[in-house]
Amino acid sequence: MMMNRGQQLLLPANPLFIWTTLILALMFNWVQNMGLWGRAAWVPDVLALVIVFWSVHQPLRVGIVSAFVLGLCMDVHQSALLGQNALAYSVLSFLAITIHRRLLWFPVPSQALQVLPLLFATHLIEMVLRMATGGMFPGWSLLLAPVAEAALWPVVSVFLLAPQKMAPDPDANRPL
Amino acid sequence: MPLGTLDRTPPPFFRQGPSAVSKLAVCAALAVFMMVADTRLGLGTPVRFAVATALYPAQWLVMQPVNWINQSRAYFSMLGSAQEQAEAARVRLAQQAARSGQVDQLMLENQRLRQLLALRERLSSPAQAAQVLYDAADPYTRKIVIDRGLMHRIAPGSPVIDAEGVLGQVTRTFASTSEVTLVTDHDQAIPVLNTRTGLRGVAFGDAGAHAGALELRFMAANADVQEGDLLSTSGVDGVYPPGLPVARVSKVERRVDSAFARIFCEPLGRVAGTLHVMVLTPVTGQVEPRPAAPVPEPTASSKKAVRK
Repeated sequence: MMMNRGQQLLLPANPLFIWTTLILALMFNWVQNMGLWGRAAWVPDVLALVIVFWSVHQPLRVGIVSAFVLGLCMDVHQSALLGQNALAYSVLSFLAITIHRRLLWFPVPSQALQVLPLLFATHLIEMVLRMATGGMFPGWSLLLAPVAEAALWPVVSVFLLAPQKMAPDPDANRPL
Repeated sequence: MPLGTLDRTPPPFFRQGPSAVSKLAVCAALAVFMMVADTRLGLGTPVRFAVATALYPAQWLVMQPVNWINQSRAYFSMLGSAQEQAEAARVRLAQQAARSGQVDQLMLENQRLRQLLALRERLSSPAQAAQVLYDAADPYTRKIVIDRGLMHRIAPGSPVIDAEGVLGQVTRTFASTSEVTLVTDHDQAIPVLNTRTGLRGVAFGDAGAHAGALELRFMAANADVQEGDLLSTSGVDGVYPPGLPVARVSKVERRVDSAFARIFCEPLGRVAGTLHVMVLTPVTGQVEPRPAAPVPEPTASSKKAVRK
């Protein structure tokens, strides 16, 4: 793989870790709904962010179909229109796969800025679908959601790449 | 550099699988079909039920820490606030004691009078208590999820009330949870009666600027509605039992350019933040079905008309 000069060579990603993080992100979305803020339009969709992350970093392992299935789980939990999140996440994953070759050449803050339009498009698709099927307008705080998600991109990048940045030959001096 | 450092399985050379565009096309088509099936054809229910049942253990798992935190917060809440609440409850009990003493007598009197006039008996609706689990996350609707479902024989359409008034109606039931659409939802309508004048109307959930409120629609511009009027269920729908408080009129706008008055109401049930609710059995089964439209008998005059 051709890589940016000075970038660290990464260990192979563990599929188990990928799927664990996706499911944890789904559960974190539930916790945000059930325990933290309830029903609010500005809540960042962490699952969407993690789907973008893995679609960019591991497009062979996490792609459109996985995004579709996870979106369906979100639909049922939210008791939203069936297929709304599934469609939005599929498009999101597709867009992430189309930019995955060039995105990783940029530093992380710049990546966050480039991911922002994708996340914005996801929320836009959901809003258009719901307004077309007769939902209520949730308020302008909806615009905060993609911004909050993009702001979380550096955090997610650090945490989800941590296992791949471990030492290939751990010893007493360098345990991680 | 040791082996195993890099991902040593090269991407497949010949078997690439379907392209991203074709995958997207299939998934998008499937999603659109599901949306149509959910909204128009009513086929979404089994899919939703299956996925909800599969997700329930994980949801239950997520609920546990949330419950622990809530319980511990309640446990460590100040003694003072608990005493205040108890005091308020005692005051309300005293206020209601006088009325509730009369209710038995009034019920008896009502029953006798109805027998005297050969009117139909008032409908009774058995109820069961439920607990609100969480607000449904969808910001485009107003729904809550309660912890009673098909296993507890909750029927779709059941009215849901809390201590203050009507909250809404059960719209979907799963194995052990149900979704309640609140009266403030855009698509929810509830037939009401103005308790001051006896005027009947239909209150709709209000979208937009007055979200979290209701609107009494299709009331004539000169209708006798004032701010502060209490609206209760009228019972003409055959779903809600009559006499449950629904809302209080908060604002009446009469405009010259419109034949209808715009009447905004505040819901009495605590739609945001109630914990315990009662699910009533809909009175649908107790109401006699509507009589079929009478077939017009051919009269003598019409026979003559046919002959001509």
